Amino acid sequence: MTPCARYHPKAKEILAAQPSILGYLAACLLVLISTGCSTHSKRISQPRNLFYDGQLKACREGLEKLGKSNRHDRDVVNLDLAVVDLLSGQPKQAEAKLRDVRDRFELLEQDSLAEKTVSMWTDDQVRSYAGEDYEKILIRVFLSLSSLMQDGIDAESYTLQIQEKHEALAELFAKRNPPPEESPPDNNPSQVIAPKKSSGKEYQPLPLGFYMRGMLREATHRDYDDAVRNYEIASSLLPACVPLQWDLARARNGVHSQPGQGVVYVFAMVGRGPYKIEVAEQPTSDALLIADRIVSAVGPYKLPPTIAPIKIPDIAVPPSDVDSVGIRVDGHSIGPTTSLANIEQLAVSTYRANRNSIIARAVARRVVKKATIAAAKTSMGKEGLTALGMDVVGIAWEASEAADTRCWGLLPRDIQILRVEAPAGDHQLQLNALLGNRPVGPAQSTQVRVFDGQNTYVICWFPDARSVSQIMCSNRVE
Amino acid sequence: MHRRDWLKSFSIVTFTGMVGCRGYQYGHVLKPEAANMVGSHEAGAEVFDPLIDEAVAKLLARQNVVSEDCPLGPNGQPMKKSICFVGIENKSAEDIGDFKDKLYNQIDSRILESSCFQSMSKRMVDAALHETRMRPDALMLPDNMRLFIAVLERSGAPVDYFMYATLTSGTTKRNSSTQRDYELTLELVNLHSGFADKVNAEVRKGYHKTAAGKAWNYNPFKR
Repeated sequence: MTPCARYHPKAKEILAAQPSILGYLAACLLVLISTGCSTHSKRISQPRNLFYDGQLKACREGLEKLGKSNRHDRDVVNLDLAVVDLLSGQPKQAEAKLRDVRDRFELLEQDSLAEKTVSMWTDDQVRSYAGEDYEKILIRVFLSLSSLMQDGIDAESYTLQIQEKHEALAELFAKRNPPPEESPPDNNPSQVIAPKKSSGKEYQPLPLGFYMRGMLREATHRDYDDAVRNYEIASSLLPACVPLQWDLARARNGVHSQPGQGVVYVFAMVGRGPYKIEVAEQPTSDALLIADRIVSAVGPYKLPPTIAPIKIPDIAVPPSDVDSVGIRVDGHSIGPTTSLANIEQLAVSTYRANRNSIIARAVARRVVKKATIAAAKTSMGKEGLTALGMDVVGIAWEASEAADTRCWGLLPRDIQILRVEAPAGDHQLQLNALLGNRPVGPAQSTQVRVFDGQNTYVICWFPDARSVSQIMCSNRVE
Repeated sequence: MHRRDWLKSFSIVTFTGMVGCRGYQYGHVLKPEAANMVGSHEAGAEVFDPLIDEAVAKLLARQNVVSEDCPLGPNGQPMKKSICFVGIENKSAEDIGDFKDKLYNQIDSRILESSCFQSMSKRMVDAALHETRMRPDALMLPDNMRLFIAVLERSGAPVDYFMYATLTSGTTKRNSSTQRDYELTLELVNLHSGFADKVNAEVRKGYHKTAAGKAWNYNPFKR
């Protein structure tokens, strides 16, 4: 018997209540401990910097370590590893990793109720990452590129998958965000968090997918009608793109290449691409107001004051000091590359289109946590210091949330293309990062072999003017 | 509702959630006699299969007639006509995606199975197109035709006919319903005489936004 029980008249009651109080506190602390403040964006920063410094080996080691240590990061780490593989001359490994993640994301598109429920008590980081819509489209783009760097057998299938996936995602988005029929009455609280209606521009197709398909169909020397059809779509998406008009004219009236000549396609990845960062949504937001209303509607209990802001991920794109790549073949200037896939725009528009659902999840999570604390306090039936302690635990629990910043971190800002027709044989290819058509870094060279009537593919990446560029050729001369 | 009850119900929901899990994707093999799936947005096997069946059957029926000037082989039987199947041109409103090469192979195989034709290998035709850098639609120009045939014959493949397949479509719209008529045309050009034979097959298909669209637009009382 404790001294308290000896002298206090209600000692038995307090003792009986103690296990439940301790239980709640322990549960809350356990949850606090289980959720870390570390986010993927912090964990990935070092390997990403190594990649941009051109230290592919060290970057690979860092990524592999990260993938092993954090189960939930594995898929996005594999995407980054695939880029490292592709640019270090291992397109086969890159393709295998990309296919693996593509299939995983397909599976994870189905919701898991278990994960959803657990995430309500912790944060979104415990959910399996199913990929952002732009990542799902870009996986197929990189699969096409990986295939082209080998034998190109599956490249055409992947280009079809780009369009198929895009159509499926756009259809899903349209279903979730139907066009407004009539505006809700002003006193309807649901309008505060009602998702923005679709403007129809969030899911614009990627011209690159159509271009690549046209490019491959043209290379058959037979299916010019398919090439025309695809170039027409790409051209309608980028009406100001002059090189696309040349491609279209050639597919309509010309031939793939003149006898004795072949074609080099340079795929230039320009700039550092989008990645996710954690941002704080202010507690005065409409979403929190709704959360408070929902909890307050359950009973007369007052919610603890809202201090911790909602943490959600957002897309960040670092500024770029490179806007295209200049190409020279055997010393002759050919011209700059042209943008056919603005990844920044794709990522921002598709992510922002779905941002409301992320905020809604955060609000729901806040409701669950507040309700749990409120219910715990009611069950104890105590006011004063104990209640204050519970409020503090509740606030700390909410503050321990971290945004889910998992994403494909090694993406370029833009994918650009240049087509060069050259005589069959070996050629010296010189690539130079440009800003406003002026060279902003040292030129990089590589030897390519052009075959009569065939395509040769070159992939290069200029993240910025200072970084070391990686160049890969499908027919490199050793 | 008391908070305790609310918490209780919440726990039940949570538990129910915990037992939920992701599903799998399943596949199955169709029996040969099983009907094709009908595409909801564009043409698929349900359109292309009957188109090919009908067009090729019509072409073979027309060309099976043995004329007096038909050259005879050593066994006294009429010699098979050599066909160069140049390709399929898609002029329809839809992108046929991965169906194009399938259609080519399907038509080519049917022609090969017939007793009156022998079809040239697609690889040889591709190689000739690659070498001459000619567009399939430019082969009818006399100079181009001569050069192309010369390249084919150099590899030991005499040609009697060029065959072109063209897929076209026509679209009729009525409010939220659409009817699309798909037509496959097989055109056979006799390289010796310059005359052409042409057959076509048609499949019509309706697309509707609602399940009642079919009944509404295609019923005996509608004109």
